[in-house]
Amino acid sequence: MSVRSSTLLARKSLRARLGRTIAIAATVVVGVSFVVGSFVLADSLRATFDNLFAEVNEGIDLEIRSAVAFGDGANRDPVPLAVADTVRGVDGVDAVVPLVQGVAQIITPDGDLVSTGGAPTIGTSWAGDDSIGGLVLRDGSFPAGADQVAIDKATADRESIGVGERVEVITEIGRRTYTVSGLVGLGNTDGFAGASLALFDLDTALAVFDRGDRVDVIDVTVVDGADVATVQGRIEAVLPDGLEVITGEQVAEETADAVGGFIDVFGTGLLIFAFITAFVSAFIINNVFAITIGQRLRELALLRAVGASARQVRRMIVVEAVVMSIIATAIGIVGGIAVARLIVALFNAAGLGFPDSGTVLAPRTIIIAAIVGIGITVVSVLVPARRAGRIPPVAALRPELGFAAINTRRLVGAAIVTVLGAISFAIGLFVRPGGSWGLALFAGGGALLLFLGTASMSAAVAKPVTSALGWPIAKLFGTPGALARQNAGRAPRRTAASAAALMIGVALVSAAAVFAASLRDTFVRTLDRAVTADYVISDSSFQGLAPSVAETLRELPELSAVSPFRAIPVEIDGDTTTIGAVDGASIEQLLNLRLIEGSVDGLVDGGLLVNEDRADELGVGVGDRIEFMLANGDVNTLDVGGIYAESAVAGNLLMSIDTLESINNQPPRDFFLVARLADGVDARLADQAVRAAVADLPQVEVQTNAEFRRQQEDQINQLLIVITALLLFAITIAIVGISITLALSVFERTREIGLLRAVGMNRRQLRRTVRWEAVIVSVFGALVGIVLGTLIGIALATAVPDNIIDSVSFSPGITVFIVIAAVIAGLFAALYPSFKASKMSVLEAIATE
Amino acid sequence: MRMDPSTPASAATPGDAPGEAAVAASTTATVTTAAGTIDAHKLYGHDESLVRALDGVTVGFERGRFSAIMGPSGSGKSTLLHCLAGLDTLSSGAVYIGETYLANLSDKELTELRRTKVGFIFQAFNLIPTLSANENIMLPMMLGGESGDADWIAQVIDAVGLGDRLTHRPSELSGGQQQRVAVARALASKPQIIFADEPTGNLDSRAGTEILEFMQRAVAELHQTIVMVTHDPIAASYADRVVFLADGRVVDDLADPTPEVIFDRMRNLGD
Ligand SMILES: Nc1ncnc2c1ncn2[C@@H]1O[C@H](COP(=O)(O)OP(=O)(O)OP(=O)(O)O)[C@@H](O)[C@H]1O
Ligand SMILES: [Mg+2]
Repeated sequence: MSVRSSTLLARKSLRARLGRTIAIAATVVVGVSFVVGSFVLADSLRATFDNLFAEVNEGIDLEIRSAVAFGDGANRDPVPLAVADTVRGVDGVDAVVPLVQGVAQIITPDGDLVSTGGAPTIGTSWAGDDSIGGLVLRDGSFPAGADQVAIDKATADRESIGVGERVEVITEIGRRTYTVSGLVGLGNTDGFAGASLALFDLDTALAVFDRGDRVDVIDVTVVDGADVATVQGRIEAVLPDGLEVITGEQVAEETADAVGGFIDVFGTGLLIFAFITAFVSAFIINNVFAITIGQRLRELALLRAVGASARQVRRMIVVEAVVMSIIATAIGIVGGIAVARLIVALFNAAGLGFPDSGTVLAPRTIIIAAIVGIGITVVSVLVPARRAGRIPPVAALRPELGFAAINTRRLVGAAIVTVLGAISFAIGLFVRPGGSWGLALFAGGGALLLFLGTASMSAAVAKPVTSALGWPIAKLFGTPGALARQNAGRAPRRTAASAAALMIGVALVSAAAVFAASLRDTFVRTLDRAVTADYVISDSSFQGLAPSVAETLRELPELSAVSPFRAIPVEIDGDTTTIGAVDGASIEQLLNLRLIEGSVDGLVDGGLLVNEDRADELGVGVGDRIEFMLANGDVNTLDVGGIYAESAVAGNLLMSIDTLESINNQPPRDFFLVARLADGVDARLADQAVRAAVADLPQVEVQTNAEFRRQQEDQINQLLIVITALLLFAITIAIVGISITLALSVFERTREIGLLRAVGMNRRQLRRTVRWEAVIVSVFGALVGIVLGTLIGIALATAVPDNIIDSVSFSPGITVFIVIAAVIAGLFAALYPSFKASKMSVLEAIATE
Repeated sequence: MRMDPSTPASAATPGDAPGEAAVAASTTATVTTAAGTIDAHKLYGHDESLVRALDGVTVGFERGRFSAIMGPSGSGKSTLLHCLAGLDTLSSGAVYIGETYLANLSDKELTELRRTKVGFIFQAFNLIPTLSANENIMLPMMLGGESGDADWIAQVIDAVGLGDRLTHRPSELSGGQQQRVAVARALASKPQIIFADEPTGNLDSRAGTEILEFMQRAVAELHQTIVMVTHDPIAASYADRVVFLADGRVVDDLADPTPEVIFDRMRNLGD
């Protein structure tokens, strides 16, 4: 048959059902938008950082740095400044620029910390040459001398800081006042992707970051006309052991990759939600096609009766879907760009400093959008199209063709899918074949099957459950309530299918809620059990603390013990792990390590403490020795001085800070501190004293144990809120889906509605009938979702190692909230269909065949 | 001419409009008008495509009688019935049910009127598929949140003669049984008048006869008022009176008709 006549029929039929077509298309648009948005956002961020690092490393031909034996280079030893002089003598070398970088927190004229919303606050040394590093002077001059600083123009503008003003900057040596010598930008931008920058001359930088005569790296440019590779070889020849020289391009690449990895994680997270949204959309598209084709059976049968072949009918429906989905996908791509911008705006509103990036729409994104948008639609329409093709022409003569009933074969199939999904999900979580890929494949695929199976199986319980849910509604709202209850149960497959979309969203929220509750409870228990300190002191921007903070606190008589926490990456028997470092003398007062063997004195004596499980793995006991390699390749051997049981805070291996400093060359920085009040001090006065001691360092966050706990709990709650917010797209689509399905049902029941109106049902009662049906359907979806989600949550919480989650907890409050939200969602979903129903003219309704 | 919505008697129109006394006397066998139209016009479309579905119909239907409306296809029978039942509105003229003019009623009041004062029986699809036969009969009362007149309902249900099938869904009943349930529903709320648009049109002659006899009994024994549109002279012969419509006008009016006479009149109308 000619494609042309299929196309013609499809076009006519699309136009005839404009409202429904728009509804389906809208679902595709939202699904595609979110997928595209995730890609656009990740790509744009990556492009921003790629540009940033290309600029930062501009003009650099070669870089000298310490080599690492393993790891990603985050733990490089510093380079002696003297190397710079050696390199200066090498033939072909033009400029030699030693660089130091650290954390520099600028204080605004109001006395607050400059806020970067999570982006780093960078302090760095000025190369002394503006052809290197892409820094451009926007105003004033580059810093020169111990009391000068230049800052980035974006920060200066935001905080109204001008050239010549005095600002305070907190560095390794504490809070000092400097004169702003100038404002700088990067290339043609004023900012550094949200980070703040404080620029010092080299000597000042060495001093404020407490580096003595060692720098991070040394950048080199070659003289005009010299071959970079040749010069690289010459430098290599004169470098001391442990140093390497690489090209500027490689540096740019490595930095971009490091940040790229983070963006990938972020992008993948968004993508997961995007696919959830697309998956939910698929459900609705599928359902709507099934219903509309069901409603058109008579028309399709008529087509068959007048001579259309089964293939023509099938093709007509598929062509219809393809045309619609192509248009919807195109709109969705545009919408995706808007979504990306929206997410940036949302995150920024939440206080995360997202760089305001350009928009990157990669060809890959468009291809995936097409696969998602067109693919989902076509797959969704295949089954109904086949069903339509099978309609016998005589069906045109039959008065009624209902929704296919639930049959046992279908149920058994659904049950098998569900069980397979559960098994795959469990394998993914607990066996994890093939690492994180296996986890994603098995657990993700399993979850998909679980949802599909459950959605299909829930049709079997739809009738009794909606009937039970409707009982109080029928009791409370009389005849409209009773009719709503019966309508919800009259097409169980349709009810289940339209509830399924909501079920998925609710299941994911419920799973996250169980996970979060378990995480929170475990954390609280761990804190109670493992920490005996009274205070936790940390940096509010998670950049760590200068060791001077610990020194300051140690001097307080109100505190009997203060210990920093640090960690270094090491390799033991070829496996990379970390060793924590604490203050050996006071750790016993601060942590409850639950020592099994040996004593904490092992730490003070320059030994190691080992967690019992790790000790078993390594086959060591007290008195044995452990050999490990540092990132710089140094190999050390330490005695095992004790075995402890409590690894929740301490980790698996512990050494003392003194030991760490004796073997490690990197500039010290404390992750956080714990401290304990001295016996007999007045807690309130002591609290004031502790806070007063660090009052001039606003980045230092002093929290009592209780405050710390609350903050961590808040963070877990916030995580839950973010997850829910991301699922909101899917949930919104689900609500729209219920609305569409119901509108279609109302349309289908035109005749019945006319009858009800004719025998005296008023518009309010009619609206009420539709409204409560929507509520019953959405609460039904929510209940199935809560049950499934809770089971998934239990599985997740169980799969996580015990030191993160040791037992499963629930949050009944969230469950109640979900049910209430489902009622509200139902009310929203009912707005359009109930309006439609009440606007139906009685006469037209009863005239409808 | 402004009409008082509640008292047709105040309208300056002749004879047919019932007086208040007539309503008071409605429990007696006195013949008064249950519903009617005065110079009813109903127009569809514009200009060339203008259709006069009703073209000056003045007719009244007596209380306690079984009336039939006949006429060729397109003569305006359904239109008249819909306007009488408050399902549709006239282009001009007046409709009253009992002592109430419909023109001045709001949608809400019309709904209320349909629920309490009017019964309606369609050709098909009369029942809500999710409700049992019994619930369908009770539907108007349930919608009003009333329980209705229990004795009367028992009487009606008894007359339907469905027995234990009353708890069944419509899909489990035959077409004739469904129509009987529809008649029972129309009767159950004790309306002032019942309108039926070809109630037997979808039934075979035996089932049709059952319905017609049932309606006849409802009028004779339960003192109901029924107005029925039909094409079938035999069906019409069950009525006490037949009104003939053609091109939107009343063209004839027969009392106590026989099928032969009706058939004869119909043939004359045709040309
Ligand atoms: N909604 C409408 N729009 C336009 N014209 C209409 C409409 N409804 C009815 N008509 C016209 O009004 C006239 C009367 O229609 P009506 O349905 O009352 O006829 P009827 O006597 O019931 O016919 P039948 O015996 O075929 O049911 C017809 O000419 C019809 O075409
Ligand atoms: Mg008609």
